[in-house]
Amino acid sequence: MSPDILDEAIEIWFGPQHVSAHGWAAKLTLIGDYIVECDPHAGYFHRSAEKVLEFRNFRQGPLVMERLCMLESFLMEYPYVSAVEQIAGLEVPERARIMRTILMEASRIHSLQFWWGQFAAELGLFTMLLWPWVDREYFLDAFEELTGSRHAVSFNTPGGVKYDFTDKFLKKLDRALLRIEERLPKFKDMLLHGPTFRLRTKNVGLFSAEQGLRWGLSGPNIKACGVPMDLRKDKPDSNLAYDLADWEVPTVHNEEHPGQSDAYDRMVQRFLEVETSINIIRQLLPQIPEGPIIDPKARAKANRLPEGEAYGRVEGTRGITSLWLKTTEKAQTAYRAKIRGPCFASYYALKHLVPGSRFADFIVIFGSLDPYPGLWDR
Amino acid sequence: MSDGEAMTLARELVNKMPDIEVVPSIDRLDIKAAPEKIRDVIRFLDEYINDLFPESCFGVDLRNNQYEMIYIFWSRNKRLLVQVRVLLEGEPPEIDTVSDIIAGLEWHERETHEMFGIKFKGHPDLRPLLLPDELVGRYPMRKSFMTDRSRLAESGLPQPKPRPPKEANE
Amino acid sequence: MMQVNWFQILIDWVYGLIFWVYDVVNWIVGIILWVYNWVWGVIFWIWDLVFLNLDFLIKAILFPGLIFVVLALIYTVWFTRKMWGRIQMRRGPFHMGKFGGLQLFADAIKLISKEVIIPDGSRRWMYRILPSILLVIVLLPFAFIPWDATWYIADLSVSLVLVFAFLAAVPILALLIGWISGSKYSLIGGFRAANNQFAAEIPIIMSSVGPALLAGSLSLMAISGAQSSVWYVFLLPINFVTFLVSSVVAVGTFPFDAPVADSEIIFGWRTELSGVYFTLTYFAEFAEQMLYSALMVVLFFGGASGLPFLPGFVNFIIKFLIVMFFFIIVTSSFYRLRQDQITRYCWKYLLPLSMLNIILVLFGLAYIDGLAALVMGG
Repeated sequence: MSPDILDEAIEIWFGPQHVSAHGWAAKLTLIGDYIVECDPHAGYFHRSAEKVLEFRNFRQGPLVMERLCMLESFLMEYPYVSAVEQIAGLEVPERARIMRTILMEASRIHSLQFWWGQFAAELGLFTMLLWPWVDREYFLDAFEELTGSRHAVSFNTPGGVKYDFTDKFLKKLDRALLRIEERLPKFKDMLLHGPTFRLRTKNVGLFSAEQGLRWGLSGPNIKACGVPMDLRKDKPDSNLAYDLADWEVPTVHNEEHPGQSDAYDRMVQRFLEVETSINIIRQLLPQIPEGPIIDPKARAKANRLPEGEAYGRVEGTRGITSLWLKTTEKAQTAYRAKIRGPCFASYYALKHLVPGSRFADFIVIFGSLDPYPGLWDR
Repeated sequence: MSDGEAMTLARELVNKMPDIEVVPSIDRLDIKAAPEKIRDVIRFLDEYINDLFPESCFGVDLRNNQYEMIYIFWSRNKRLLVQVRVLLEGEPPEIDTVSDIIAGLEWHERETHEMFGIKFKGHPDLRPLLLPDELVGRYPMRKSFMTDRSRLAESGLPQPKPRPPKEANE
Repeated sequence: MMQVNWFQILIDWVYGLIFWVYDVVNWIVGIILWVYNWVWGVIFWIWDLVFLNLDFLIKAILFPGLIFVVLALIYTVWFTRKMWGRIQMRRGPFHMGKFGGLQLFADAIKLISKEVIIPDGSRRWMYRILPSILLVIVLLPFAFIPWDATWYIADLSVSLVLVFAFLAAVPILALLIGWISGSKYSLIGGFRAANNQFAAEIPIIMSSVGPALLAGSLSLMAISGAQSSVWYVFLLPINFVTFLVSSVVAVGTFPFDAPVADSEIIFGWRTELSGVYFTLTYFAEFAEQMLYSALMVVLFFGGASGLPFLPGFVNFIIKFLIVMFFFIIVTSSFYRLRQDQITRYCWKYLLPLSMLNIILVLFGLAYIDGLAALVMGG
């Protein structure tokens, strides 16, 4: 690139006061219609959650965690809870174990539904923004029935869960599942089989599995490249009940570019994710045994932890979410808690993915990685 | 899946770099390395594990000017979690960057730099990532950072009057 | 010593005074008479003008003219929003008036009373004047729409060409507004608007050649009159489709809304407009949409012909709403195309199809004996 071309480049700030930049900003350098440089800026959403966790005790910690990403609050609570359970040596009752898994999968479905709508709106179709969001309400109703809150659920707690399932909740959850099962073919028609959707997303934001792993992408983004990297299967957690269900890690194979994924593949992948989640929930629902929902000693044990380190991980909607926890002797609060949000990596990946693409495709690439500002800024 | 993976990896590593402390277990490998060795260790892991996935890298303040850098990697093929710890001393603590070996750690290092003041030698871009301008250079994740008073001093608001010391006879 | 006849001088002076007063009075009366005559003349002139052109004035101001068009515009926006609401599983406006019928008046009042914020980098007087010119230019061609055999404002022998001539100015104004706003997003949006017109103008004019050839006239009145026996939509279905699609492109609404793509470039060339200026451009877009719908009714659906027991303009409006509904369906079911895809689509598919249709029409007129008699002159 000669310097004269760079003279004609214009710099444009995509955000923070942009319609689709909700809490982030990227500085783009354009030559004509093409982006030659992308510099994503983080920090607009920073709430210093890691520092806050150093001042909250171990039963308050999950509340901080779930506020990082309200869309998958059941999943976000889990790494913290898991780390505390590992240090305290808590055993989770069988009933709570299955309940956790069911709600984590339900949370995954409604988070993905939110993303379908958001991605469609970024592609300029507001019909598809509202359709999945209407169905998402059914899940939120169910969560509200269970915990009293639609988003900040505060459900998982060290040693078990806080609220027991009621018949009314189970009925509402069943209704939500029926609804999404009924509507999935319609969403597929609107998203995957739409000719204009293919035009916009095929061969946009293409990267290979090796590149994705190098940048730290995980979850659906890397599974769309054909790598079945899924913590639910790879590293079975004894406090979750994924082993009780019979399921396979879904992956996508791109026939044009084997081993790579584009925005379209990532959308296909997220449809498969929802189908898998429905499958898991359907299999787990009849298996809930009677019994306690929390370890009776949990409260006492989680009050003061012994010295130790633990690494709690979970396969979140957007990738591997984890929390590294270090405690000191007789600690009431964490000494150091490091949160890994999967979107930290996907937001960083924009820097490498975007240059060379058209300006109009920037938001498609961004949206297809499903980043959520709360997860990278923390 | 077997514990053989971690064992072989540990043996290879110790053969190559004898001064490194390695603790293998079933699905986990804990490595303790000296700061100057970190690039060698990461490069070794990168060569040995073909699907090395950089999960995170962060600092821990151990007080008394001692810091710990922790790198966490995950390998799906080997079902292996690798945790590399490096003890840093001195002010400012310094370590070589590994972001040119594994690109995904670039921003993690950038964040650690602004939160702990750990200097990454050779890092291409150490601009502050998350913090607002007035906190740059204050290293808020350090234990010595005063969470409330320090912000008040910057804001220019009148300082609260210090509480009168309690009299012993009162 | 000269004898001075003081008496004679006095008499002369008095006579002179009397004549002088008489002349002054005459002069004043003359002025009054002149003013009187002038005023009466003007009044008579206006009276003659109104009386002789009463018909035209009522048409131009009241019924198919300004007030009707503005009301129709407002209710078209309402119709569009209501239909979008139904398609997107929501209710649309329903608070103000019956079925939300007054919502658009409320919106207009709200938008007009908002503060106008003019950016520093903009050309202030152009910023103030261009949106109004845009709306005027879009509203002017309604003068040539033959709503009925009697209810029309003007009928020129080249009105079809004139309508397109007016519409050709719209993207230039959009580009200018984008340019003078002093924002990079506006500039990009302006160029995209120009690109849209660049893509759509040739197919749209080519598609209107078919009906003009069949009717043997360039006058909209004659074209709609020529369809009393058969509507051209049955003779020229391909032309209708190309006209519909390229008019959606020319308007720059949903699937082709790259000029105002809100998730990419905030609001395109309208980004920096605020308050009343935004209102003007917002209504101008819908007015353009209406204009194209009306043109389609004239060119392909036989204008005022239809159900015989209804007045002609009622027939026209019914067909107009049906065509408008096509617009709404298209705008709410496709994803936004990139601007290079728009150009490719228009030039690769629409242009050859419309050219093919012209050739077919020429051959048909030359070789099918009954056709010319059937379609020409009605």
